[in-house]
Amino acid sequence: MWTYVLKTLWRHRTRSLLTVSGAAVAMFVFGCVAAVQEGLQRLTTGEDANQSLIVFQENRFCPTSSRLPQDYSRKIREVPGVRNVIPIQVWTNNCRASLDIVVFHGAEPDEVRESRPITLTSGSWDEFRTRRDAAIVGDGVARRRGLQVGDQFSIGEISVHVAGIFSSTVPSEENLIYTSLEFLQYTRGSGAAGLVTQHEVVLREDADPDAVAAQIDEVLRAGPVATTTRRKGAFQTSTLSDLVDLIGFAHWLGYACVGLVLSLVATTTMMSVQDRIQEYAILQTIGVRPGRALRLVLGESLILCLLGGITGTLLATVALALGGFAIGAEGATIAFRPSLNLVATGAIVSLLVGVASGIAPALQAASVPIVDALRDA
Amino acid sequence: MPLVELNQVSKRFRQGDETITPLDRVSLQIHEGEFVSLMGPSGTGKSTLLNLVSGIDRPDSGTITVDGTEITQLSRGKLADWRAANLGYIFQTHNLIPVLTAYENVELPTLLLKLSAAERRERVELALQAVALTDRADHYPRQLSGGQEQRVGIARAIVAHPKVVVADEPTGSLDVETSEQIQQLLQRLNQELNITLLMVTHDQHVASIAARRLTLDHGTFIETTSKEYEETRT
Repeated sequence: MWTYVLKTLWRHRTRSLLTVSGAAVAMFVFGCVAAVQEGLQRLTTGEDANQSLIVFQENRFCPTSSRLPQDYSRKIREVPGVRNVIPIQVWTNNCRASLDIVVFHGAEPDEVRESRPITLTSGSWDEFRTRRDAAIVGDGVARRRGLQVGDQFSIGEISVHVAGIFSSTVPSEENLIYTSLEFLQYTRGSGAAGLVTQHEVVLREDADPDAVAAQIDEVLRAGPVATTTRRKGAFQTSTLSDLVDLIGFAHWLGYACVGLVLSLVATTTMMSVQDRIQEYAILQTIGVRPGRALRLVLGESLILCLLGGITGTLLATVALALGGFAIGAEGATIAFRPSLNLVATGAIVSLLVGVASGIAPALQAASVPIVDALRDA
Repeated sequence: MPLVELNQVSKRFRQGDETITPLDRVSLQIHEGEFVSLMGPSGTGKSTLLNLVSGIDRPDSGTITVDGTEITQLSRGKLADWRAANLGYIFQTHNLIPVLTAYENVELPTLLLKLSAAERRERVELALQAVALTDRADHYPRQLSGGQEQRVGIARAIVAHPKVVVADEPTGSLDVETSEQIQQLLQRLNQELNITLLMVTHDQHVASIAARRLTLDHGTFIETTSKEYEETRT
């Protein structure tokens, strides 16, 4: 009986192909939207989102406007529960939301190597440590900008030598460029000697993040610049609040894509069944049970949906893997990365939509009044 | 014991405000191996009777029993199973599935039975041989002539070795020569394979190939049966 289903789809191959293409495009968009949401989820609830704190200047949001004394790190280190403090100077080419945001993090090279979840895939740590303008570039940025080890990369007032390319288990890290702290502090126009944008605080395992954050702000209240200390996840959510709203809205776009596939495949299958209502009457006359006729139609819609859905999801996966896309604002970035979860979600959604879109036409085929359909023929 | 037995069968239709009763308490018995033709003016209920015997329609009252099974009592699903195992249906307009080859069309009913692949293949080949279309097995319906299509339709009707085969105007859409060939084929299937046939036709000449001829007029059967048949029955 599957021969019948496959040959039926092949008989109207233009219609089938257009339906599969439509489903593929919709599921491509669905996959991309899901990847954005996954990226945001990872950023705000990932492993280090609750185990590190970010100390930022009070009432400041853009990295260019937060200027904290570098020696705050010494005072922060004395707060109970703090394991390590990394002063970081941040520079970004764009404080607004952008798909091609470039974010530099200036920090001590040894601290970077020791504390960041990154692995150098090419280049050398020694060059990064010893050369003043050396930078190691996240894989995402390198792919977007076509950078390789040995290249000179300039943006705005900053010009760096690419000493290495790194990958990371934390996707947003792959959209950063690390330089030495001094390099960013003393770059032309920065005027940040002795100042940093933020302090990243690594906590001891038994520390209560919120209590430590409150204590840090309390300790630094007597200093020249007041601070706001938050968990890293909360900081990123707050920094990206505009984008979070937008992404929240985009998830409706994902549902709309699913709805689009549903209506597209349902329409095609319904047209196909109505064109062949007489065939279903013949099949039932020769002994095909109504339940079997129902399954034949569900098979058609399922094949269309799975072909389109899986194609679209795989295309999205390839595009995300090759493109190294990210969206960022105010120095924080959300990486769109393909994942097994994304592929599985795409396949499951396609499967469910395939069944759902076939139900109405399948019921029509199963309940065809045989005599009337044969007479109309 | 008759193979097919209709007992006081009635069927009514609504047509606007009017109720039409083409069959009103009709009774009929068909024995195994009989070739019965059914004639009558349009609207007398010939096709309705055929549809009732084949279980694709239900009577408003009365019972229909085929080979001991009262098909009027069966659910829609069970009726489909019963048709798959016991009934062959020859349509007027061939009604082959256009996307399937002649072989695949004939194979369809066997897919609904519990048969091994080898048994299926053997049955399909025998059915195609019976209608002399082995060399057209891989052809699609659009590549066949009207007569060949009807022969494929006949092969599909007999492939499952049904208890009874019904034919609704099997030569109605064919030219005279092709119609003759189909008539001979039906006669041969009845005589050589002992297939029980109930055929509806408008054409007296076609009806004459059946040993037992019935005319349905105002709900009553008029029997104009051949002498040979009478002799066989006695």
